[in-house]
Amino acid sequence: MRPARLEREAKSSRHAFLKEIVSIAFRNLSRHRVKTVITTIGVAVSVALYIFMDAWLLGMNLDSRRNIVSYEIGAAKIQSQAYFEKKEDLPMYESFSNWKPIARALESAGYAAAPRMTFTGTLYSRSGSAPIVFHGVDPERERRVLRYMNYLEAGRFPKEGTYEIALGLLAAEKLKLDIPRKLTEEELTRLVEETARTPEEEAFIRGLYARQEPVFFLRQDVPRTELDRFWDLLVASGRNDARISTVIDIKEESGKIRHVYQVMEAKVVGIVNSPNPKTNGNVAFMPLDVLSGEEGLLLEDQVTEILVRAAGAKDSDLPGPKESPEAIEEALRRVGFSLPSSLRVYGWEEYVKDYIVAARGDNVTTRVMILLLFILSFLGIANTMLMAILERTKEIGMMRALGMTDGELVLSFMIEAGMIGLMGGIVGMILGSLANIPMVNHGIDYSAMAKQLSGDFGYRITALFRSAWNPGTIIGSGIVATLISALLSVPPTLRALKMPVTESLRFE
Amino acid sequence: MTVVEARNLVKDYTTNGLTVPALRGISLSFEQGEFAAIAGPSGSGKSTFLHLVGCLDVPSSGEIRIEGTDVSTLSRKELAFLRRQKIGFIFQAYNLIPVLTALENVSFPLTLLGVDRKEAKRMAEEALAAVGLEGMGNRRPKEMSGGQQQRVAIARALVKRPSLMLADEPTANLDSKTGAEILELMLSLNRTLGTTFLFSTHDRMVMEYARRLVHLRDGIVEGEERKGEGQ
Repeated sequence: MRPARLEREAKSSRHAFLKEIVSIAFRNLSRHRVKTVITTIGVAVSVALYIFMDAWLLGMNLDSRRNIVSYEIGAAKIQSQAYFEKKEDLPMYESFSNWKPIARALESAGYAAAPRMTFTGTLYSRSGSAPIVFHGVDPERERRVLRYMNYLEAGRFPKEGTYEIALGLLAAEKLKLDIPRKLTEEELTRLVEETARTPEEEAFIRGLYARQEPVFFLRQDVPRTELDRFWDLLVASGRNDARISTVIDIKEESGKIRHVYQVMEAKVVGIVNSPNPKTNGNVAFMPLDVLSGEEGLLLEDQVTEILVRAAGAKDSDLPGPKESPEAIEEALRRVGFSLPSSLRVYGWEEYVKDYIVAARGDNVTTRVMILLLFILSFLGIANTMLMAILERTKEIGMMRALGMTDGELVLSFMIEAGMIGLMGGIVGMILGSLANIPMVNHGIDYSAMAKQLSGDFGYRITALFRSAWNPGTIIGSGIVATLISALLSVPPTLRALKMPVTESLRFE
Repeated sequence: MTVVEARNLVKDYTTNGLTVPALRGISLSFEQGEFAAIAGPSGSGKSTFLHLVGCLDVPSSGEIRIEGTDVSTLSRKELAFLRRQKIGFIFQAYNLIPVLTALENVSFPLTLLGVDRKEAKRMAEEALAAVGLEGMGNRRPKEMSGGQQQRVAIARALVKRPSLMLADEPTANLDSKTGAEILELMLSLNRTLGTTFLFSTHDRMVMEYARRLVHLRDGIVEGEERKGEGQ
């Protein structure tokens, strides 16, 4: 009988054979219990760490994206192509006029639209000055697109027709335009003298502070209503009056840029401290309408951009397919409106290169670190399998003598190593998921670090870093651990199979 | 029927650039049902001959036919299937799978052959009973004596009803009483099943049991004795 025929016969009961080698593999793992447990722990730790880190990165990215869209940009911007190309320089001379028909067309197509005039300048307070990026906004429309005005640390959002400013928290602290948290006795006395108009107001202000030698701290338990009253007193006293100094760049028909120096008197009426650090730094928001006139920026209704978001989008929503630049342009066409040729719709990703670079960098760094850890733990598996195969060289020789083929032997050791990977993977999946639960539900407060970096570290998160569940990674890492473990057994098995059967049988 | 046919078998081993001849042109053939021993002192080439016949090693030159098939024409995989189907091995050191019970060790070759699990278990139990180990199927090798392990090894080799049984010094690790019992067992299996047994040995007792005795010395056949039945 030709052995080829036997091969076909043998294949008929592959299932029983597989069952048998799984059973042998399992018993061999039990036989070397300590080694198996140690290797399994190594794999489990790697898998758990990978799941944990991946969930953390995903959480930070999801939160960052939500915060970018909800507090900083919206889903897209309409800008002139010329402005977009130089957007890092904030070239206000590349602004465009006639924004209202565009905004109306967007609104009738199912979008919220918020015009903005962005310019730079210096803000002077009584205590100092700071370079600031100003956004002239239409408060009503801005509210429909973005939500940062819901996070005012103090005061309110500026009203139309006024030179009122809502200032980022960090700039407000630097210019001492915020609610003072810590004062010396002298500073408190001066503050009371400047702010209180009646003895009752004096007592009220003094009552807000608790003495903790040698200074006074704003009490932690001050109710919001009292803080609002205190803020109103500060604003009314003129302490929050400020001056904006800026240079208006006007593009003449010849293409030449003309510079006009302008000074505006303003009042800080609100302090922004939203979950997106970009709104809380050296940034100010003020009504767009007052900037149009001669006492403003001589704009004649010009804006640098229109922010776009789907009407009624929630804070937690990421931009959907309806909010892509192509979809927005298509929606405008459907309502019979076409953008002027100089204007384009740009997606939000175009404006957050810093975040994308940070996220990509962290992604690569973290994954490389975890990969190294994986390599270490898989070296453990490779070592375990190498030892197991070396110890069982004689057994391999005997199995070959019994008629096991090279493929069957490779498969049997792959199953054995794969079982270590599988056990480690399952334990790692459980450990990683357990570690994720508090990270998803509560997160870690990094506000101190974020503040030290002025909130400028790429991610748009101010305080709480929260993880997010990623079932694909959780399941995938278990599968990958199993497969890699199984594959790691192949080289030592092939090496053992190179040895003649007779030599394997003599091996001690 | 000729089960094994070896023609001009030569086997050289090269170690550290030095070539040592193990077999120097051996021609032997064995018919179905023979109970033969290859005898000779250490280094005579008896184990090498057995390994070549068992397709565990390849000759430097010469030809081996198992039931008429020239094994040099077979691939590595086909050789494995040939061993699986037609050849049973009994090793000096028993070489049982330590994590399997006696019953599982015996049924393992049947699993390789694709025999149904239940049927394999039944056949393994029968084989264990045939070697006098009835009721000991659940024991692991380390829970058994050397003689019992060798019986399990015989049962494992026999369970698949091979045409050729090769036993390399099967009694070397056993005391003389157990050795004699094992030889009796193999002889009775040879008689009842008609399986061809081929031993390598330098044990006088094995030689006495053998119906045909081939003497090897320095890799060549020095002489041959045939004994009649009942001797």
